[in-house]
Amino acid sequence: MTTTTAQSGLSRARQGIAPGGGGSGNRKSKLSAQTTRTFFWLLLPSVVLLVLIHGYPLIYAAVQATHDGNLLQTGNFIGGENFASVLTAPAFWKAAQFTLMFTIVGVFGSWLVGLGLALLLRTRIPAGGTFKVLLLLPWVVPIVVSSTAWNWLVATPDSLIPSLFRNLGLGTPLFLADPNLAAVTVMVFKVWVSFPFMMMMISAALASVDTTVYEAASMDGATRWQQFSQITLPLIARSTYISWILMTIFCVNDFPTIYLLTGGGPVSATTSLVVLAYRTVFQDFATGPGVAIAFLMTMTLVVISVILYRQIRKSSVE
Amino acid sequence: MSTKSSIASSPLSRRGFLGLTAAAASVPLLAACGGGSASQGSGGGAGGTIKFWDMPWATPAYNDAAKKLAEGFSGANSKASYQIIQWNNFYQTFSSAIASKTGPAVSTGGGFQAFQFEQQGQIAYADKVIDKLQSNGQFDDFLPGVLDPFKTDKGYVAVPWQLDMRVFWYRKSLFEKANVALPTDWPSLLEAGKALKKVGAFGFTTGAGSGNNYANHSMIMMMVNNGGGVFTKDGQLDLMNDRNVEAMEFVLELVSNGIVDPAAVSYTTDNMSAQWKDGKAGYGLFQVNVPQRVGDTSGDLLVADPITGPHGDKATIVFPNNIMMYNNTPSQESSEEFLVYYLGQLKELWRQKLMSALPVFKSITEIPEFASDPNNVKIVKDWQPIAKTFASQGNTLNANLAALDGGQALNQFSQTIITGKSDAKTALQTFQSALESVLKK
Repeated sequence: MTTTTAQSGLSRARQGIAPGGGGSGNRKSKLSAQTTRTFFWLLLPSVVLLVLIHGYPLIYAAVQATHDGNLLQTGNFIGGENFASVLTAPAFWKAAQFTLMFTIVGVFGSWLVGLGLALLLRTRIPAGGTFKVLLLLPWVVPIVVSSTAWNWLVATPDSLIPSLFRNLGLGTPLFLADPNLAAVTVMVFKVWVSFPFMMMMISAALASVDTTVYEAASMDGATRWQQFSQITLPLIARSTYISWILMTIFCVNDFPTIYLLTGGGPVSATTSLVVLAYRTVFQDFATGPGVAIAFLMTMTLVVISVILYRQIRKSSVE
Repeated sequence: MSTKSSIASSPLSRRGFLGLTAAAASVPLLAACGGGSASQGSGGGAGGTIKFWDMPWATPAYNDAAKKLAEGFSGANSKASYQIIQWNNFYQTFSSAIASKTGPAVSTGGGFQAFQFEQQGQIAYADKVIDKLQSNGQFDDFLPGVLDPFKTDKGYVAVPWQLDMRVFWYRKSLFEKANVALPTDWPSLLEAGKALKKVGAFGFTTGAGSGNNYANHSMIMMMVNNGGGVFTKDGQLDLMNDRNVEAMEFVLELVSNGIVDPAAVSYTTDNMSAQWKDGKAGYGLFQVNVPQRVGDTSGDLLVADPITGPHGDKATIVFPNNIMMYNNTPSQESSEEFLVYYLGQLKELWRQKLMSALPVFKSITEIPEFASDPNNVKIVKDWQPIAKTFASQGNTLNANLAALDGGQALNQFSQTIITGKSDAKTALQTFQSALESVLKK
């Protein structure tokens, strides 16, 4: 098979065309109107279900975001007033800023830790399987349990970690009471909870990399760093981008990690957009503005996901 | 009859017949989707099952006992079912159930929930229940003033069944160790706080972490204790009054003297309980039954005397938890009958020592299981008569209080004060603005 033939075959394979097949245009023309109708009727139940499951809440949320009602009554139509009030509120931008930091640290922090551990576990270390299972625990343990455990580790001046700092002569840091330290603590907690997910994603990607590639690179004189940066990272790029997309969504939408540990405080220092949306709807009973915040978050996530998805396609082509 | 014969005689195509059959078949399906709406009806007198929704007010043993009480109801034409609703997103749970006509006929719930649903036309007024309580003698058994907050121009929005009281507690051994007298007024509270600090304890224990409203309650309590409050007598926002400013300046003085734990801003209620248990909390505002809650029943944790503000005011705050009835009921008469029955059974919950709140009936405060605890007796005798609601300086509760209690505005304000991040006037001004924007919506 020549290179051209092989590329052509790959291209056809990507398009899902069987050998000897004539391509979608050809196939389409073969479909009779009756078959199209059959396909339509077969698809209809699934489409209706999807619209009901995803479309209805979205439409209802859109209605709430443009009205001045509450959870029980829709209220009067007020157009974009809720969006305007949200976008001009300093609390929204403060929460957006924290969400951005939280997401950046959460995504890349957990990715770096996960990558490091995945590479470490790839080497032959004693009881590697056991370590793998133990390292999954932060992801597996319910967030209510882990946040309670972290709370007891850091909450009061006499908790374990502040006591440790005090005994080391480093003062008594108030991990959840100081606004800056609370933000750092929440982010570290997020990384701790999330790195096993990244580790598993990267481990799976690494498992599919042919080890002979490294042997060949070694023989060509490539250093460890060159092997990592020129072979490993490009080969796991697809998985990396997918994990980044997923973790970005997880971080932006992460309510329990923040709410259970700090409740968004002290003095809003750890209030993310999702916490702000929750508190606006369920504590201030301002449904419209709260749903407007959620809408803005969704739109932002869609944009980020599209950008990262393009990166995936790019890395696939490369 | 005439309709039937006209259909029978009319010409009907095969497609038309199939369409009608499909429409007929869809009716039961749609009815099924309607859930309880069909069974609930809308207030007739047919009887049926009264759906009673209750919250986890205490340990699971409480809900077991309450279920038994509710299901023991046997009305003239009705019985009752019992369901526990978790606190998590409870308002959404109630709202969506009420909107879909699958909600309860009678329920407990958030302290101001009845007023929120009353505003939306979903509440059945309890005036007839009050009449029945008057005729059966229970009306006179209410502790003084507990019914008044529920009386509106249109009628009684709900009926109280327990009082979530905020009172000052102290650890006796820490006061002895610090060799200081119990506070009786604000200057002596400051002095006691300073003395307790010297023995490693805090003289104004509170918390504002996730889900903890005690700092919020402490702030409002101090305002009320100084003759102030969030609202005027006629219900207008009035945070900037001189008494409130003075009260917050005093709390800031406590903060600057290290009398408030610097980590309190992040304390959950569990963290606060641990501070009490570990002997770090010397004095502070808490609920009823603190020894049981924190796990120290040695007798060292005691209810303190109410303190007097600088202008001679003496007050605390109370949340009168209540039972409400909804318009969507199989029978309004049965709802009322159930509520009267249930109020008559409440004694059993205190008899079994399941409650962490004061009863609303004098007769329950006199049962040995309640009165044998001197802390309970002191709260009933000294604190209940001076207790005011969140509506202070006003009296009647309203829907806006739900956004105040546990809302972001008060939470931010309390956290700002107990971290000493602002002066009193600025903090109150920010609080007022935040509250105004919420109450508008």
